[in-house]
Amino acid sequence: MTNNQSTKGLSRIDGRLKVTGAARYSAEFAPAGMVYGVLVGSTITKGTIKSIDSKAAERAPGVLSVITHQNCPRIAGYQVEPGKKEPEKGTYKLFYNNKILFNGQPIAIVIADTFERALYAASLVKAQYNAAEHNTRLIDQKHEAFAPEGDGTSKRGEADAWKTAPFKLEQEYIIPSEVHSPMELHAIIAKWDAADRLTVWTKTQGVQDTRDGIASIFKLPRENIQVNSKFVGGAFGSALQVWPHEVAAIVAAKLVKRPVKLVLGRADMFTSVGYRPHTWQKIGIGATADGKLVGITHEAIGQTSAYEDFNEGPIGVSRATYACANVNTLYKLSALDIGSPTWMRGPGEATGAFALESALDELSYQLNIDPVELRIINHADTDPESGKPFSSKYLKEAYKLGADAIGWSDRKTKPGATAQNGWLVGYGMGGGMFGAYRDKAAARVVMKDDGTLLIQTAVSDIGPGTGTMIVTIASEEMGLPAEKIKFDLGDSSLPLAPSQGGSGTTATVGSAVYQACTDLKENFQKLAGNGGTDKPDYAAILKRNNLQKLEVTSTTNGGPERDKYAMYAWSVHFVKVLVHPATGVVKIDKAVCVADCGHVVSPKTARSQLIGGAIGGIGMALMEEVVIDHRYGRLVNNNFADYHVPVNADIPQIEAIFVNKPDPYINPMGAKGMAEIALIGMAPAVANAVYNATGKRVRELPITPDKLLGKDGAMES
Amino acid sequence: MKPFQYTKAVTQQSAIEAIAKPGVKIIAGGTNLVDLMKRGVTAPDKLVDINNLPLKSISLDKAGQLHIGALALNSTVSESPLVLEQQPLLAMALKAGASPQLRNMATVGGNMMQRTRCAYFYDTTMPCNKRQPGSGCGALEGYNRMHAIFGTSNKCIAVHPSDMCVALAALGAEVTVSSRKGSRVIPFTDFHRLPGDHPEKDNTLADGELITGVVISNNKFAKNSYYLKIRDRQSYAFALVSVAAALEINNGTIKEARLAMGGVAHKPWRLYDAEKALAGKPANEESFNQAAQIAMQGAKGYQFNSFKLKLAPAAITEALKHAAGIA
Amino acid sequence: MEDERAHILPEADSGTSENSRRNFLKQSTLLTAIALTPATAVKAAEAHVDEKIAGAFEKMPVKLEVNGINHSLSVEPRATLLDILREQLDLTGTKKGCDHGQCGACTVHVDGRRVNSCLTLGVMVNGKKITTIEGLAKGDELHPMQEAFIKHDGFQCGYCTPGQIMSAVACIREGHANSEMEIREYMSGNICRCGAYPNIVNAIQEVKEGGFKV
Repeated sequence: MTNNQSTKGLSRIDGRLKVTGAARYSAEFAPAGMVYGVLVGSTITKGTIKSIDSKAAERAPGVLSVITHQNCPRIAGYQVEPGKKEPEKGTYKLFYNNKILFNGQPIAIVIADTFERALYAASLVKAQYNAAEHNTRLIDQKHEAFAPEGDGTSKRGEADAWKTAPFKLEQEYIIPSEVHSPMELHAIIAKWDAADRLTVWTKTQGVQDTRDGIASIFKLPRENIQVNSKFVGGAFGSALQVWPHEVAAIVAAKLVKRPVKLVLGRADMFTSVGYRPHTWQKIGIGATADGKLVGITHEAIGQTSAYEDFNEGPIGVSRATYACANVNTLYKLSALDIGSPTWMRGPGEATGAFALESALDELSYQLNIDPVELRIINHADTDPESGKPFSSKYLKEAYKLGADAIGWSDRKTKPGATAQNGWLVGYGMGGGMFGAYRDKAAARVVMKDDGTLLIQTAVSDIGPGTGTMIVTIASEEMGLPAEKIKFDLGDSSLPLAPSQGGSGTTATVGSAVYQACTDLKENFQKLAGNGGTDKPDYAAILKRNNLQKLEVTSTTNGGPERDKYAMYAWSVHFVKVLVHPATGVVKIDKAVCVADCGHVVSPKTARSQLIGGAIGGIGMALMEEVVIDHRYGRLVNNNFADYHVPVNADIPQIEAIFVNKPDPYINPMGAKGMAEIALIGMAPAVANAVYNATGKRVRELPITPDKLLGKDGAMES
Repeated sequence: MKPFQYTKAVTQQSAIEAIAKPGVKIIAGGTNLVDLMKRGVTAPDKLVDINNLPLKSISLDKAGQLHIGALALNSTVSESPLVLEQQPLLAMALKAGASPQLRNMATVGGNMMQRTRCAYFYDTTMPCNKRQPGSGCGALEGYNRMHAIFGTSNKCIAVHPSDMCVALAALGAEVTVSSRKGSRVIPFTDFHRLPGDHPEKDNTLADGELITGVVISNNKFAKNSYYLKIRDRQSYAFALVSVAAALEINNGTIKEARLAMGGVAHKPWRLYDAEKALAGKPANEESFNQAAQIAMQGAKGYQFNSFKLKLAPAAITEALKHAAGIA
Repeated sequence: MEDERAHILPEADSGTSENSRRNFLKQSTLLTAIALTPATAVKAAEAHVDEKIAGAFEKMPVKLEVNGINHSLSVEPRATLLDILREQLDLTGTKKGCDHGQCGACTVHVDGRRVNSCLTLGVMVNGKKITTIEGLAKGDELHPMQEAFIKHDGFQCGYCTPGQIMSAVACIREGHANSEMEIREYMSGNICRCGAYPNIVNAIQEVKEGGFKV
């Protein structure tokens, strides 16, 4: 029963703080004397600022300062070394010169004593521009695309071998730009403690990376910067770098000599903190009559900004997912006059999987082979790219678990063959994969004489339940109940941890905590002498030795196992949709998500994470799309009324299943990350189900009702 | 938001006096007005809060007419036993709109007064004849997926976003208004207007007039009515198209039909010809399809909203089938 | 409700705020409506005194009972209940997710009714009872809905959670928690980007079926 399933495992250790409103996020601190900053965005897309009139704003009640490129102090890290030329491309520099590179680019920050006053004064800042011709349209710009640095092309076996296959197809697949849209707005409070010492509370997926980023922009010693981010209201990739608004608040705080709080508006969240790039893809795929893949050719052109190259490699999935001797890929970027894209949940793979998993589905109909069976036929027993064995892979088991749970046997191969109360029924599936990484991290564990354990690392928890996972590991390793364990995070002064991203936190930080606990236990065993047991009475040993506490800091890193094995986590999503034949309305009736991600450390939070990722995938499939009016280069749906993300009514109960078999090599817990695979493969699963229901293949997301009405009006049932 | 003065009116008379001055706006639920003020689309000098006025009641008179005060909350109306029994179409439409929280704030009068959700109207850097007469229409050759297919002008193709109003238009309600000059009654279908050369005017309310309520006359539609809303997600979204369908059926024959659409015009779009065509016909899919085709006469699509030319008739048929109980 | 005449008004940026404020203060008919502007401020405006006093008269006295505690505040009419709670009363449990009534993170109860505090002007709830997430538990004893959200893991990042819980409590009180479908519809005014919806529904169903007093 779903209810039981959802309550199994340790509840979130910070749950009480979150349900009582006591958890404080970045904008929710109030250092003495704090004032408010509000950004002013450019209203043109490309060109230069002719002049900025900030007099009315400066005169408005409560305004302390207006900062623009005209009066912004030199930011040390922005300056080009003497004798060197300004690089052609690079991270956008705030208030650096009069150039406008994208619509909504910050051209000023207004600082006032209250939020209302700052916001109103910001509306009084008026700029004159010299507008230049801009381009924001990916599809028009395809011919201008260029290869990114690194791997634009690749070839395994013969290029374009799919063309020689008896069964083949070539199709184009398009995903629009999507925005992360975490519920918490990006926010920072910047406070200078001395001329060269800074404290910030900011929304970040990595306090130490943010610290280092700020250090490099302001040329400060990193030990002079304290970054706090204990609670993060979602991010999904949008908080992996220091953004211009953070620089603005830091500069403003310096100038007005007061702590400055800056919270982005929801509209800014669409233009100022990255997005998943609009991407065009083409897949050529061919197979023999018995379903063996002959070749895959995967081309992609992704959007980037005019000033910075963003390379997320969506073509990688075609190289790594299935056993296929001949795979060639081509990846290019198209530079548009829009802010830079960034990593968004399942970066690259989510985009690539939409094309590959849709194409495989199309091929399955040509071959008349069940889509699950087709994937099993082409199952990669070893890494197709390197030939290395997988550290672990139970994908075939995942297919079976998912197919059984959704009732795959009810699926009719012929599209539109099943109806239910006037709605067409369709089943679809899609797979996901993502590299299982492990980086360097450290953890400090402190056993106190009251028998409680304190764990400290600088990791962030953007929502998955990192603390709950850490406490579970420590609880099992130390033989302590969870209530006796405290976890401290989101503070840049704590032991080393990388940013939370790429599904690496459990493997990376979890391993450090595991090691620190192991080391601490060993120390206790030494202290206890011969009488040491596996579950010692820590408090008693400390007291016997006249110690108040015993602490250990351990650092761990991935080892040589990575050279021997290919490491991936896998997912497979099954979806049953209902499509209304006359109006094109699609409802998700049932969804089953299966993850093969090694041992599941924290079952309750992992289950939620798998469901949550799937819901992100449903949004991607059915409704999410950034729309730009290319005449102006300006977004026309930069709000939650027009940019739709799923609401409760869109989402049925989703069954989350874990294969839950430990990986013997990746880390001591045998766990792989699963944040990305939770989403990757969901969108094609939905699209494939819609095809099965209707016979309409939608190759450009999202699948809104209009796309199912087609040229001839209502679809045939 | 520009600073403004705020006062609370204690009597209808004082409210009417207050709004007789320029630069003054009435605030009730504020769900749309506060949003527009935050975005700088509108910037009143003064707000007159009318929430204390006694305009909240819902009652049935001896003639069977349902009276709903202008300040009755959308949620209250949608849950009212009287409304559910007498005019369930109205309750259905209300429940299809916004969110439970917004319905707890929004009033009947405010719902009628809400402005379009057109992106060009909302973004003060873009052209919009409705917001700034003479600045042009951004949507005409812009992103017009949500826009009108009926009754447009070359000045404006925006749609009225309300669900409630679609039901009230179908039900032939009347709007009661008061001003210094006294009171008058406006047929609901005449309350909102088409854009023509003056898209800045959403409705026919005169300067200084205050909406006091709506009246729905007695009818026999309660048994066979339905509100269908097609949108990009299952809830909390504006309509691509919506249909309010009300039928009086005698022994399988339609005696009288009422049809109105949302998401297709600058005002709730009443489908008179389709209604006439349905009268006397059997309540079956064939009649409904015919009516839907008639309803679409004169419709015109734009670059991104031509799908509505197909979606709208499909939605009309579907809504009628639901109303007739044959869906 | 909006008045048609406003469309002939100049755009927001015309004229300085001080001048227009003085003008409308002079024009306003204080007799026909209760003007809550303090008398001293009106005098200051008429005397064309400097901005420091102008700042004071932008504010109005407001009394709020928040979670059972009375507050006498001085607020600008344009300050929303959300910003008053977060910035003036340090009740940061109520969240700002969109500031435009499009996400539900700011949901609070005003006189027992769930509303979006981001679209509620503080001056409009003068004298009313406000309940925020901080007022739901009784001391250390969590509200059954809070317990159920923890048990069913009805959240991840936690940012939409206060709004979800305030909505969930109202959903049951309103009588809209009678089926999974009804709960899903009546919880659709609260967006959760982490995707905790099924767990939220389970939490609400448990509280509803458990017969807890909400």
